[in-house]
Amino acid sequence: MRILIVEDEPDLLRSLAQALREEGYAVDTAPDGEEGSYKTESYDYDAIVLDVMLPKMDGWEILKCLRKTKKTPVLMLTARDQTRDRVKGLDSGADDYIVKPFDLSELFARLRSIIRRSNNKTTNIIEISDVKIDTAARNIFVKDKPVELTAREYALVEFMALHRGEVVTRTQLYEHLFDENESSLSNLLDVHVSNVRKKLGAEFIVTRRGHGYCIE
Amino acid sequence: MKIFNSIKWRLQLWYGLILVLVLAGFGIIALQLQYERQMSLLNAELEFRFQKVVSALHPHPPPPDQRSDEFPPQDLRSREFHLPPEAQALFDSDDPHHFYFIIWDDNEDKKIAQSTNALIFSRPNHLYQFGFTRRLPSGEMVSIECCNVPELHELKVAAWKLAGAGVVILIFGLAVGGWLVSHAIRPINSISDAAVKISAGDLSQRINVAETESELGKLAAVLNSTFARLEAAFAQQKQFASDAAHELRTPVSVILTQTQTALNREREAKDYKETIEACQRAAQRMKRLISALLELARFDAGQEHVKRKQLDLTQTVHDCVEMIRPIAEEHGLKLISEFSPVEITGDSERLTQVVTNLLMNAIQYNKPRGEIRVKLESKNGLAILTVADTGQGISHLDLPHVFKRFYRGDKSRTGASNTGLGLAICKATVEAHGGTIEVASQEEVGTTFTIRLPS
Repeated sequence: MRILIVEDEPDLLRSLAQALREEGYAVDTAPDGEEGSYKTESYDYDAIVLDVMLPKMDGWEILKCLRKTKKTPVLMLTARDQTRDRVKGLDSGADDYIVKPFDLSELFARLRSIIRRSNNKTTNIIEISDVKIDTAARNIFVKDKPVELTAREYALVEFMALHRGEVVTRTQLYEHLFDENESSLSNLLDVHVSNVRKKLGAEFIVTRRGHGYCIE
Repeated sequence: MKIFNSIKWRLQLWYGLILVLVLAGFGIIALQLQYERQMSLLNAELEFRFQKVVSALHPHPPPPDQRSDEFPPQDLRSREFHLPPEAQALFDSDDPHHFYFIIWDDNEDKKIAQSTNALIFSRPNHLYQFGFTRRLPSGEMVSIECCNVPELHELKVAAWKLAGAGVVILIFGLAVGGWLVSHAIRPINSISDAAVKISAGDLSQRINVAETESELGKLAAVLNSTFARLEAAFAQQKQFASDAAHELRTPVSVILTQTQTALNREREAKDYKETIEACQRAAQRMKRLISALLELARFDAGQEHVKRKQLDLTQTVHDCVEMIRPIAEEHGLKLISEFSPVEITGDSERLTQVVTNLLMNAIQYNKPRGEIRVKLESKNGLAILTVADTGQGISHLDLPHVFKRFYRGDKSRTGASNTGLGLAICKATVEAHGGTIEVASQEEVGTTFTIRLPS
């Protein structure tokens, strides 16, 4: 899952990015409205955390531009907590709204919720034959036995499970599993796929030669 | 007791009382006049009969053609006395007054004559008897009286009628008066209704002013403008509190996020240090914000004490400029100053803060290799200080709001040192000195702040 954070307070931006990375997300950051808007246009993020008050271009404008082309889920981050502000936020196309100061656990839960909804899922549990994925606890069970995965391996499984039945290209995987600062070594992805197959069964991820991977 | 506290009822009471007095006065005067008229008529009747009796008793020499035996001089002591018949008719008729006469000799206490209808002998002394007794020069006593006065009865009836009319007028008067009073008092009721709603917290209430020219209408207009100012002040206070809370949210978010992230798992000493540094920055920002807020709150409450001391403003501004000069040079800006000697009374510390604030703004919003001009002069008894930069300028949309609290042109918090209260504090300080602060700006050319202080 790749997430963009647009926030002008540097300390907040840094710690949010760190916290989300530790949650297993690939995180991009933008310190002002212009850069934020540029990045939302350039990549297909799984979710965007968007501050309202930003220099150069405020959160509402970014949202307005984004909604012309994309359905990316957006979590608005704001210091205004009056009802009319919330209504304005939700009406302008934001998927959810969180008021500063917030608890990180709540932010994580809201992010999971908007990502889940954007993938048309209603619960945090995804079951694929013997494999059960708990996206809230970030655990994977095979025949009810927990399996240890690295954060990157888990992210790979989760992304593919959410796009079950679709062919996911290597480019798509790169875009959603690695952030802008990571050098994308092409064989790194193959290593992760082979590790997941070892842990969850060789048939779990099917290779479509010339296209990409698929969970059926 | 409550009814007597009401202005309406008190007015009614006084009004009614005056009406009763006036009506009673008029009634009494009317009755009195009527009574006197009736009495004088009655007296004329009595006098007429008296004259008849006297002329019968001592007839004057009659006119020659009437001199006859018909009315011979009578010696009353020796003879029966008889009234001529037409005079007799004055007494014996069906006249409801029942006039009668008695003549007696006072010396001998002997009755000489009386009309046939005379009721009693001796001096009449009855309640409803009117009349008089006179001594004639010849020694007889003549009493002419009547024993019934229907006019008095009529007067009584008239009195009752008057009283009845008076009561009707009183009731009508009270009704009209009551209507007038409640009409006059109605604006007071609407004023008090509005005031009650306002005191209950609904500050948007206004008094419905129908007639603006009357005294109450003017009062209502004054009250309405007071309410409007009250509402604006409350709204401003609310906005200020909400803005203050809003400004504090971001640093609190930083601290929360930083600490929660740090505590999620074991970290290296370097990471903890970074977290603590970020928390410190956030805390310092809150500290700056809180002291600025407190300062403004004290200005608002009129508690902020501004020292009034003789002050060499030139020296103060010069010190500020020299203090800021290294920072300006660090930013590659030219700081040009031009001073003429000015002395004012004021608070040097606070004015230093104002000048420093303006200079820091001029540095922050200037263009690279721009300049800052500081000019101090004395004109028309005013000290005029201008701080002009060659920066990006302020958009005409933002210009009217720059002195407002938390107003930021670019809607952001760029520069954590910027609380958004600097110019608001400058304005409050200058105004506490009895001066004014103005701003003029042209986009891409620069901004000029002008302070005028009374010297």
